[in-house]
Formats: sequence, structure tokens, C-alpha cells
Amino acid sequence: MDWDETLARVRSAAELCAQGNLACVRIEDGSFAVTLRRTVREARPAAVAQPTSTDGIRQNGAVDHPEMARSLLRAEFVGIVHFARPAVVPGTVLSEDRELAYVESLGIRNPIHSGGPGRVAEVFVAEGQPVDFGQTLFSIENA
Amino acid sequence: MFKKVLIANRGEIAVRVNRAAHELGIATVAIFSEPDRASLHVRNADESFCVGPGAAARSYLNIPNIISAALISGADAVHPGYGFLAENARFAEICADHGLCFVGPAPETIAQMGDKATAKAIMRDAKVPTTPGSDILASVSDAFVAARAVGYPVMLKATAGGGGKGMRAVNVPDDLESAFMVAQAEAEANFKDGRLYLEKLLEQPRHIEVQVLGDTFGNVVHVGERDCSVQKPSHQKLVEEAPAPVLGDALRTKLHRIAVAAARAVGYRSAGTLEFLVSGDDAFFMEMNTRIQVEHSVTEMVYGVDLVREQLRIAAGEKLELAQRDLVARGHAIECRINAEGADFTPAAGTLGDVALPGGFGVRVDSHAYAGLVVSPFYDALLAKIIAHGRTRDEAIERMSAALADTHLGGVKTTVATCAAVMRDERFRAGGVAIDFLPALGTAAAASA
Repeated sequence: MDWDETLARVRSAAELCAQGNLACVRIEDGSFAVTLRRTVREARPAAVAQPTSTDGIRQNGAVDHPEMARSLLRAEFVGIVHFARPAVVPGTVLSEDRELAYVESLGIRNPIHSGGPGRVAEVFVAEGQPVDFGQTLFSIENA
Repeated sequence: MFKKVLIANRGEIAVRVNRAAHELGIATVAIFSEPDRASLHVRNADESFCVGPGAAARSYLNIPNIISAALISGADAVHPGYGFLAENARFAEICADHGLCFVGPAPETIAQMGDKATAKAIMRDAKVPTTPGSDILASVSDAFVAARAVGYPVMLKATAGGGGKGMRAVNVPDDLESAFMVAQAEAEANFKDGRLYLEKLLEQPRHIEVQVLGDTFGNVVHVGERDCSVQKPSHQKLVEEAPAPVLGDALRTKLHRIAVAAARAVGYRSAGTLEFLVSGDDAFFMEMNTRIQVEHSVTEMVYGVDLVREQLRIAAGEKLELAQRDLVARGHAIECRINAEGADFTPAAGTLGDVALPGGFGVRVDSHAYAGLVVSPFYDALLAKIIAHGRTRDEAIERMSAALADTHLGGVKTTVATCAAVMRDERFRAGGVAIDFLPALGTAAAASA
């Protein structure tokens, strides 16, 4: 496999993804396949002001640093949030996808994954805090 | 008494339950879906939890999230309101499993009354008159025999039925065979269960229901009857009143007696309603609703009893404070349901702009409406219940007409004009209309809404 050529193809696929405002691009060639996913951020109404810290995030959810995609991780379950050990803090670098926390609901652990490598930008909840559906738990700058 | 109750509902009934709880000194927990975040029931409650997105299946019917919210908040009871999980026996069981008191009857009672055939059989055993009819029909020839026995016209019904599917009216024997085939095929296609039974088709029946209250000590009282015959073509009620007009004292007393006996027979606890179809001097049991009903407010106005408060007291294990002799009807009350609906009662959506609801002497409004409320297609179209109370039925009708004229809800189509047309109608004013009254009134009034 020619890595230079492969990287060039991945780079042009990434550009295509960004320019075309696409969420996902997949290229396949024989035994080689790569999928590029772009985080598409949804606008959240001002009335539901969460996250509480707006550092780097404008009210409409857009990011101030367009070169760095930021994704918000939300709770799907009403429950109590517990951090996975070691607990992440703003600035923690994630070399790969990992469980950041879990929401305990009716005795069941519902894990919250980073979804890939990146950097924890913000943590919006405290250990043992009750959370409800849709509540933002973390914001992650995707690598 | 409870310390904290979770209200597993939205809209006017959640606001209503919240009020009753606060009056009793009980703290409240609201649940809401994402689009309901700014709703009145959320603002009025002491605490609130978002339990899911707009679709009811993922929010107001999301049992794990609702139970989790109750446990986290430290609630000791759950009031289900009406609709959603109110008649879900499994939900009542799950509440009990988690140490939460379900404000309603026992799960077994909910299950028994929720199954049409079981409910009818229990009532028959309790000597409650049920519509003459057959058991499951094995064949067309069985249907001929059963129809001859009860007398034409008859209604073929699917035992698994609902929503009018698998139902066929048969007026003469010649039509029975084809109607049987069509109803069977329809039932099979819709419910994967083609079994049919038949019932005598009552001509021009009225819908009259009796409110009952039962406690854990076996005390049962009735709180009078309501006439809910003004129904949309879909059989949803639009106008209700208490007491039922043009009803002989003998039949009224008989209905009350039957309802109390039936509630005793099932060991009923909480507020419940027995629905009857009344034709001439005959009354037939239709179904029992094991929850608070939308139209409970007309009974409250006439009897001066807060039924939701009674539900909470009974669920907390307290005794009924009211003996039958204490319950005396005073005057007459009428309720109009103001729904977000256009002509032909098709659901309307939009954002409420101008909101001016009536008030004053003898007028009660139960509503969650406010300017800026987004009327969502996800839920029931009810925006407000206007209840007028007067010394006489005529006075209540005039008061309602005036109140409807003072009702301004901008931004969405509503049933205000249709309700006003009902109040003006001579047949309604005479009293005792049958359930075909509103469909016959036509779409003319609705179209002008």
C-alpha cells in the first residue's frame, strides 16, 4: 500500500466532507476501507441553556474554533451520573474511544463514550449528580 | 399523607393534579418531553425531569425514565392523570415494585376492566345489566342464531377491536352474512384476531356515566352521574354535564345503585367511572374507566368535592370522609372542551398568540394554555376546559354561552364556535340528546370555527 497516496486520498475525502457539509464519507478500495465522520452540531434553544459554561461555544451551539470539531455528549436516561476511573477533567486527552462516565438508572449502568479520540473540553456534571434526558454531560474536541 | 408525588402527565390534568397536591401540602415532581420544557405544568411543579423527546412513546410513556425520576426525586407516589399510563396495569405494578404508591386502583382491577370481555363478564356476574349479545361466534350460522335471539339491529364487533375497526351494524338478516365476512377480514387484518361477537344495536342511545369513589376500607360512594352524549364522530366527548338532564328519578337512582354495586364487586379503590348506554328506560354497562376523567370537573362543581384530592387521600390509605348522605347535587354544571381542532375536528397546530380565558362568577377554567404555547402535533388537542355552574341547567347554558364569547385563543383553530353552536341548539337546550347529535349537527358549526 502506498501510504502517501492513501493519505492524499483520505485528505481529499475529508475536504469533500467539509466542503459538501456531509456527515460521513466512506472510501473503499479492495481490502482498504476508511470512513470519515464529521460531527454535525445541532442548535439548542437558548431557553434550555445547557451547557452552563459557554467558553468557546456560542449560544447557537456553533464553535469558535472551526478547525476543531466539538461534540456534546448527552444523557439518554434519567439517572445518576458516575465518572469512570480515572475521572476526566477539562483538558484530558483521549487517545482512543473510552467510557467517560455512566448514568445509573434503575440499577443499570448506561455508559457514556467519547466516541473516539480527542480532548475533553468541558465537564458539565459532578459525580453523583442526577441528570435528565438530553442533559449535556461533556463536550469533546474531536481529534 | 404523601410527602412528594410525581405527576406522570402533561397539559391541564398535570396542572390540576399539581394544584390538588399543593393544597394537601404535598411537594410535586413534573415530568416533561423536550418540546414541553416551558409548559405550565413544569413551571408550577416543585421539581421537574425531562424524560424524553417529543414522541409520547419515548417520553410520557417511557416507564424506566419516569420511575427513575420518581426514585431520584424521592417521591413516594405517582399520579398518572388520564391517558398515557393511567390505565396501564403493568405500570401500576412497576410502581409498586419500586416502593412507589400508584394513585389509582389495584393493578388487577385495571387489568380486569381494561379487557372488554372480562369486564363485561364480571359485571354480568355482579347483576349489572350489559348490552344483550353473544359470546364469540364460531361461524356465520352462529351469528344468525345469536342475532335472532337478541333481535335486529345488531352490531358485529371484533373481540380484539378498537377504533371502530372490525365493527359492522346489521339491520336485517339478509345483510348479516356479508357483514360478518367483512368484519372478520377487517379484524384479522387489523388485530390478527378475526374473532367476532355481536351485541344488540341500541337506537339513539345516550352516554351516561356514574362517578364512584372507593377506599381501601371497602367504602364506596357514587358522586352522581354525567351526561356525555355530545360526542364527535370519533366518539370523543366534547360537551359534558352534571346532572344528566331529562332522566327519570327511577332510572337515575337505578344507575347510581348499579354503579356502587359494580364498584363493590371489583373491590374498587380510588376514583372511577362506569359508563352506560341509556336507551329509553334501559341502561347497559359499556365499560369502566379506572382513572380520573377529563370531565370530572362538572361533578366537582355540582357536588363540591375535589375528586383529585380524594384520589390522593385514598391512595395514602385514608378513609373516605364523605358518606353517601353528604353528597348532594347542587345546581347544574356544563363543561366545554376547547380543543386545537379545525373543521371536522381535524387536529390543528400552531403557536398560541392571544390568550384570554373567561372567568368570573360560576365559571371555572382548567387549562395549561398561555400566549406562546406551541400546540404540538405530538399530543392530545385539549387546550382548555371551560366549566359553567348555575342554579339551573338554563342558567348554566347561558353562563357557558357568555363565557365562550369571552374566550379568545389566537393562532390556532379551536372548538369554541362549535361549542357555542351546541349551546344555541334547541335540541341541546331541551336536553337528552343522543350520541348521534353532534355528528348530525353537521360540520356547519365546525366550519365556521
